[in-house]
Amino acid sequence: MPVCRKEEGIMTNAWKAIRKVLLTVVLALVIGALFILLISENPIDAYVALFQGAFDGKLSFGTTLASFTPLLLTSTAFAIAAKAGAFNVGVEGEVFLGGIVAAYIGVNWTFLPAPMLYVACFLGAMAVGAAWAFIPGFLKSYYNVNEVCVTILMNSVALYITSYLVSGPMSAGVANAQSDPVTVNLYQFLKPSSANVGLFIAIAAVVFIIWMLKKTTFGYKIRTVGTNPMHAEYVGINPRAIFIKSMMISGALGGMAGCIEVLGVHGYFLNNFATGLGSNGMLAALIVKSDVVLAPFMAFFLAILKSGAMGMQQSTGVPKSIVDTITAVFIIIATMELLFQFNGKRKKKKKDKAEA
Amino acid sequence: MSDYVVEMTGIVKSFGEVQAVKNGYFTLKKGEIHSLIGENGAGKSTMMKLLYGMYGFDDGVVKVNGEELTSITPKLAIEKGIGMVHQEFMLVNELTVLENIILGFEPKKGMTIDFDTARKNVNHYIDQYGMDIQIGKRINQISVGEAQRVEIIKILTRGANTIILDEPTAVLTPQETRRLFEILENLRRDGKSIVFISHKLNEVMEISDRISVMRQGEYIGTVDKKDTNPAELAKMMIGREVFLNIEKKKAKAGEVVLKVDNLWTSGEKEISKIHGVDLEVRAGEIVGIAGIDGNGQSEFIEAITGLRQVEKGKVYLGGQDITNLSPRKIRDAGLTHIPEDRNTRGLNRTMSIMDNLIAVQVDAKPFSKGMLLDTGAALEHSKELAEKFDIRPRDPQMSTESLSGGNAQKVVVAREVSIGGKLLVASQPTRGVDIGAIESIRSILQDVKEEGLGVLLVSADLEEILSLSDRIVVMYEGKISGRMDADEANEDNLGLLMMGGQDTSHAGVQEGGRDHD
Repeated sequence: MPVCRKEEGIMTNAWKAIRKVLLTVVLALVIGALFILLISENPIDAYVALFQGAFDGKLSFGTTLASFTPLLLTSTAFAIAAKAGAFNVGVEGEVFLGGIVAAYIGVNWTFLPAPMLYVACFLGAMAVGAAWAFIPGFLKSYYNVNEVCVTILMNSVALYITSYLVSGPMSAGVANAQSDPVTVNLYQFLKPSSANVGLFIAIAAVVFIIWMLKKTTFGYKIRTVGTNPMHAEYVGINPRAIFIKSMMISGALGGMAGCIEVLGVHGYFLNNFATGLGSNGMLAALIVKSDVVLAPFMAFFLAILKSGAMGMQQSTGVPKSIVDTITAVFIIIATMELLFQFNGKRKKKKKDKAEA
Repeated sequence: MSDYVVEMTGIVKSFGEVQAVKNGYFTLKKGEIHSLIGENGAGKSTMMKLLYGMYGFDDGVVKVNGEELTSITPKLAIEKGIGMVHQEFMLVNELTVLENIILGFEPKKGMTIDFDTARKNVNHYIDQYGMDIQIGKRINQISVGEAQRVEIIKILTRGANTIILDEPTAVLTPQETRRLFEILENLRRDGKSIVFISHKLNEVMEISDRISVMRQGEYIGTVDKKDTNPAELAKMMIGREVFLNIEKKKAKAGEVVLKVDNLWTSGEKEISKIHGVDLEVRAGEIVGIAGIDGNGQSEFIEAITGLRQVEKGKVYLGGQDITNLSPRKIRDAGLTHIPEDRNTRGLNRTMSIMDNLIAVQVDAKPFSKGMLLDTGAALEHSKELAEKFDIRPRDPQMSTESLSGGNAQKVVVAREVSIGGKLLVASQPTRGVDIGAIESIRSILQDVKEEGLGVLLVSADLEEILSLSDRIVVMYEGKISGRMDADEANEDNLGLLMMGGQDTSHAGVQEGGRDHD
């Protein structure tokens, strides 16, 4: 996943990148429109309904923000790992585990005063997420075990651990598999939607990550290791340590997302609550080639699609699965872009050779 | 009708915004060896790749045997009797020499390949041109020189009368080069026309009938070998006088800075690629390691710089034991390193010149302020280095992605030399860079030695070893096969040691290993 970053003309490049993203969005919507036409519906009406469903009214807008919050974190989690050269498919597992830890602490550690309990929930969730991500990071850097396989498998493990816990030891004893309600909640500011102040915590975390990546020596090392580990080793940067650390940061962000979902959205740990959060975040990051600045915008767009889909289905008869089609088109376009990039590189290589 | 087999006039070729060839001109007479020379990026390879149809040309006229070809594909070029030996061989490692030669042009007997006819056919060429090839061996079992001869035969069997060789001697030892030249002579005698692309002037002077020079995509001129000399050619290539053989300053060797004691290490596939190497480098001297690529030089350097596990033995830097320390700790102990491969090790090609110049010192003042990276200080430092080491472009915020070989290498050299320390390890420091950069890098190495650092130089280029080193060791099959002072060394006795032979004229030579030929 090493992503090329040209240094020259940072502004023009940022503008180019934004233009590309917009183009991708428009293209995906246009192709989506073709499918809507195919089922004899009016695509303009459908899209109007979609955006109304995402923005019109407190509930709609709140729902969009609520689904944006975890995606913001998971997309950044994927992107930061990708910056160090890791393909962390395991964010979803980290969300689950972060959630269960937050639920456990939130339910049981009532001996702490409330503010401390918030902090404990977050720290616990992030620590466990980081520890979970440490495993594939360590296996990859010391034993060259493919982190993609390991993280995919560990997602299932995480899911089943949490399922077991909320069905058994931590079960609230109700019909659904869920935990007891936590004693601290994140303030919901657009009721009746579940948008909560976790959004601002997530934004702060993402801003911190961007700052770290661009401005600190540690960020410099992550970029170096992600683009050329051989070079990193040679200049005296330990690529293994950096790789593991950025996996752990990725895991911590996943854990944080889980914590916010539990404390802010549900109020308890709901079985299977994080399904799709990891993969959608990964998608958002992949479309912008793990650019940490652009990934949040992509996450926001996916959130709009997700929360507007229901509105569209209700008011136009266009099934909400059309949104999945648009998402799929996204993936295709994103992959195509990688292809273009590869071609461009090959051409460039030829050119270099020619000049030799 | 002209008497040229190839005539290229007014050739223009651009790659994107870069004009690789601006007004290319090249003619080839039947039965001549015509050298095409120029610095990196002069457009000489591009010219020949246009002729071979690997790229289409934008403008100009190409005539082959008097017939104008408006667009060329490799297939058409082969039909017209043109063949090319590329810098990287196009051979299938797992197949035998014979299979490689007939690949794509297999003589058939019913459904099966007629190996007998093929063998007879190939042997015919081998005998005719005095090539020494074992056609039953697999490519991964034969030497580079032999693989090159396989490429030549492959082209001949496809009916080539015009043979283009793209820097063929870059990978050969002096002995192998001589043998290649014998083959080229045989081919010429047989009426084949040969294009020889090179930037080694002594070879060009030895083998050519005529010599054409290109500079920055422009045709400069064509001269007969008998009317010219290396100095004139160099001047044509660069556009000014050059002094490659810088005057060697007498070493004032001080205390031992690097001491390697019975070092053993493994290669990627071979166990104990390096077995039992002893070496000392003193302050203020340059020790050159000569040897054909692949005899363990890379592994040896990686082992002492912390990039490869040392299995046995000790490495001391300024008295401190640095065996198997991390690259960071070894650097902190005073080692700097120009690695042999600037694209994977030496540079991060996705980052800017500035980011590359500070790569070793990100954690050091003034670039690191607590956790923060001080880009202001980095920029200032980079601008200074770009100026001092003549890195073009001067703007350190430009990406290193598009730097030419010479400038990319200057970034590496600037970074390592500016750090100082006790020992500079320079591995193939001028490989694949243009003459101007070779000149400046070599004089930088001299300066480093003057400043009192020890320099360990590894180079496959004997001329470089001879012109820079105070002492020379030769590495052969993971061992030191000979050591001598620079003033006793010459191409012959070093070449012999590089092939594993013993230099009987010199007493201080260790057990030399088995004979190669």
